Amino acid sequence: MEPNLERLVPACVREFEPYIPSKPDHELRNLYGCDRLYRLNNNENPLGPPPGAQEIIRRFPPPLGAVYPSGDSYDLRGEIAAFHGIHPDQVLVGNGANEVITFVIKAFCEPGDNIITADRTFAVYEWVAVFSGIEARVVPLKEGRFDGPAMLDRIDDATKVIFLCNPNNPTGTYWSRDTLVAFLEAVGGRQIVVVDEAYFEFVEAGDYPDGVSLVGAYPNVVAFRTFSKMYGIAGLRIGYLAGDRNVVDMIRRTCVVYSVNAVAQAAALACLRDDTGHIARTRALMRQSRAFLREELGRMGLPVICGEGNFLIVKLPGSDTLAYRKLMREGVMIRPMTGFRYPNHIRVTLAGMEAMEAFIRALKKILA
Amino acid sequence: MSAANREPDPVLAMQLEARPSFLSVVTGFVDSAARAFGMGREETLKIGLAAEEIFSVACERICPGKPVDIRCLDGKYFMGVAFRFPVSALDMGALNITASARCDREEDLEETGLILASRSVDRLRIDPDGRNRVRLSVEKDKSYPPAPEESPAPAAFRGTVATATPDGETLKRYVIQASRLSPGPLLPDFFRYPGKVVDMAAAGDVQAVVAADETGRVAGGILFRFLTERVVEILGPQVFDPPATEKVAADLLDACIARTARTKAIGLVSLTGLPGPVQSQFESLGALTLFGKGGRVSERPAWYRLLHEDPGCVVWTDGALGEFLQGEYGRLFLAREIREVRDLGETRSGSSIFSAEVHRERSEAVLRPLWPGGDLAANLERHVRFLGEEGFLNLLFELDLGVSWHASLVPVLLGRGFRPGMILPFAGQADLVVFQYHGTEP
Repeated sequence: MEPNLERLVPACVREFEPYIPSKPDHELRNLYGCDRLYRLNNNENPLGPPPGAQEIIRRFPPPLGAVYPSGDSYDLRGEIAAFHGIHPDQVLVGNGANEVITFVIKAFCEPGDNIITADRTFAVYEWVAVFSGIEARVVPLKEGRFDGPAMLDRIDDATKVIFLCNPNNPTGTYWSRDTLVAFLEAVGGRQIVVVDEAYFEFVEAGDYPDGVSLVGAYPNVVAFRTFSKMYGIAGLRIGYLAGDRNVVDMIRRTCVVYSVNAVAQAAALACLRDDTGHIARTRALMRQSRAFLREELGRMGLPVICGEGNFLIVKLPGSDTLAYRKLMREGVMIRPMTGFRYPNHIRVTLAGMEAMEAFIRALKKILA
Repeated sequence: MSAANREPDPVLAMQLEARPSFLSVVTGFVDSAARAFGMGREETLKIGLAAEEIFSVACERICPGKPVDIRCLDGKYFMGVAFRFPVSALDMGALNITASARCDREEDLEETGLILASRSVDRLRIDPDGRNRVRLSVEKDKSYPPAPEESPAPAAFRGTVATATPDGETLKRYVIQASRLSPGPLLPDFFRYPGKVVDMAAAGDVQAVVAADETGRVAGGILFRFLTERVVEILGPQVFDPPATEKVAADLLDACIARTARTKAIGLVSLTGLPGPVQSQFESLGALTLFGKGGRVSERPAWYRLLHEDPGCVVWTDGALGEFLQGEYGRLFLAREIREVRDLGETRSGSSIFSAEVHRERSEAVLRPLWPGGDLAANLERHVRFLGEEGFLNLLFELDLGVSWHASLVPVLLGRGFRPGMILPFAGQADLVVFQYHGTEP
């Protein structure tokens, strides 16, 4: 007898459309008939991990594949805590930052509650809330930035968590320290404020705040960081959150232990210990590719939204999803932005010059 | 767009065996439900007649003596009656709209069976409902007063025009103006009844965004609704401020996309006309021909845009359709692995079923294959003949390229005057290809 899924599955899950990730590269090359594929869709670091992390991955002892990793990333939490000058119990490590988003929503929200975030930002905050039966209040960006006053207006007694993405993916805009502090003062500790700093290490602006450093003064702040972007170990899936000890103690109750594998923990440790100038090398490459794209796209008369981070957005004269398919035929994979509520825009990862030149060539061809 | 927060529609349900002696129980039940749901006298009579016909067919041919579930649903602007039958290979054919209750008497064909039920309702459709069950649904719309004739006094728009989800009064004002602006044959009939659109929005069957100035004067609007599981149909945008058409149309479309981009929808489709300024955001799927009364013929262009990356998929087809598919997929840059289905002499038996969805207001019947069988050509022939005799001017046949056995209908359709008109990406398990009947023998 078939299970009665109508009865067994909550409506919030039944109605949710599962996210379908891209097919593997070999399948995409076959479907679109291209020999090679430049991946400019996921904001990956073209330089890969720092040398120390590469060595860890290369030399991981196969017999340790049979041994469970540290269930709560013990050594790594200690190193992260030392890095930020906080206690290890203020850190939780997850299987990518996506998992720690889930921890936070599970810890603070139940049906009837709501979260607040922006309409044009990283989608996972909204997705996790919606399929958990939590209302997601999405506030429109104002001039491409999170609109603090409008977000404050949407707060009510059922609001539990506010998600800020700083710098914002996909606009690259950020709140300065003063703006963030003013917002936290206005919230007054009544809600948890998540500051997602996935692109923290790319930002060179002097007034850009370090969310972790605000936890002492604002114990309702929870900061997210990831090793997927600057540190180039997206394939290993590892990220973390840092917050006040009592807040993190609550979040830990919803945290799935043993979800972070041993290679990821060891590689992340090596990332933090890097002394070879990995961040400086990556930033230099980003500056070069950003300048190249801005100049070329400017010549083509295409508006560009370019802020902090290893990506920029291009406004096209037509459909972004059609451009995606045409660019795939040319072997270039970008991110169409309709799903981010930016119709007719594409997001392009800043990468090596060969990939950037290939993208510009392909874009000129499809728009000709 | 989520139905998760909607109040469930009121439903009255009963179960009984398909016996002729219970016919009065069914008609009494449907009649009582219609009164409870606030249907008018004429609509009550008509949906009662449809229920009587369907139950009679169930008793005589579909599932005599077997249990039948009957659910009456208050859809706010319509009443629906759904019959759920157990079916077996022996009686499948009776579920075709053109099947006769007394198939041995040719002269009775046009006066019996489900086609008679279809005449007294606005919509009739047949869907699979789990294993070995079929759901046959009829819907009758409530009556609404038409939009008033008087025109609003012309006035200049003041201040910024902004988009928002409208309240009931604003929605009515938009619908009244939209019906005046584009009263063509493509616009759905409900645009003539503003109160009905308000009820449709309240029922969650359609969403609206309206552009209004600072005084609340309506500058334009757009309606949108799920056409299939993953495709949203947009109706509009319509703009009533000609100098600002480009900006207002773009803002309305942006607002519509903002509300659909993170739902289960994978694409937007426009089947009722798209203003020039936003056409560049869409891809042309081609055009069907709309045959109207008095020999009027018009184009029915379709536009499409995906909301996400094309994930690609496998499609199944007969070789006779290969060239059309290659051409369309190439033109639309859609990544598809086309697999050809070949008839290698395997036995096909039993009665096929086609689902028929009828839309009398635009003289259209949409056929879909529901069950394979050994009588595809004969079944199609019956449908074409009977629906033609019923006066339907537009016959469409949709094949799901994600269902391999549908491919066996391709040569049958091509041989009976149907031509492939367009592809609707992801409108089925994979893409749908829409065939249109052109009434010419090969």
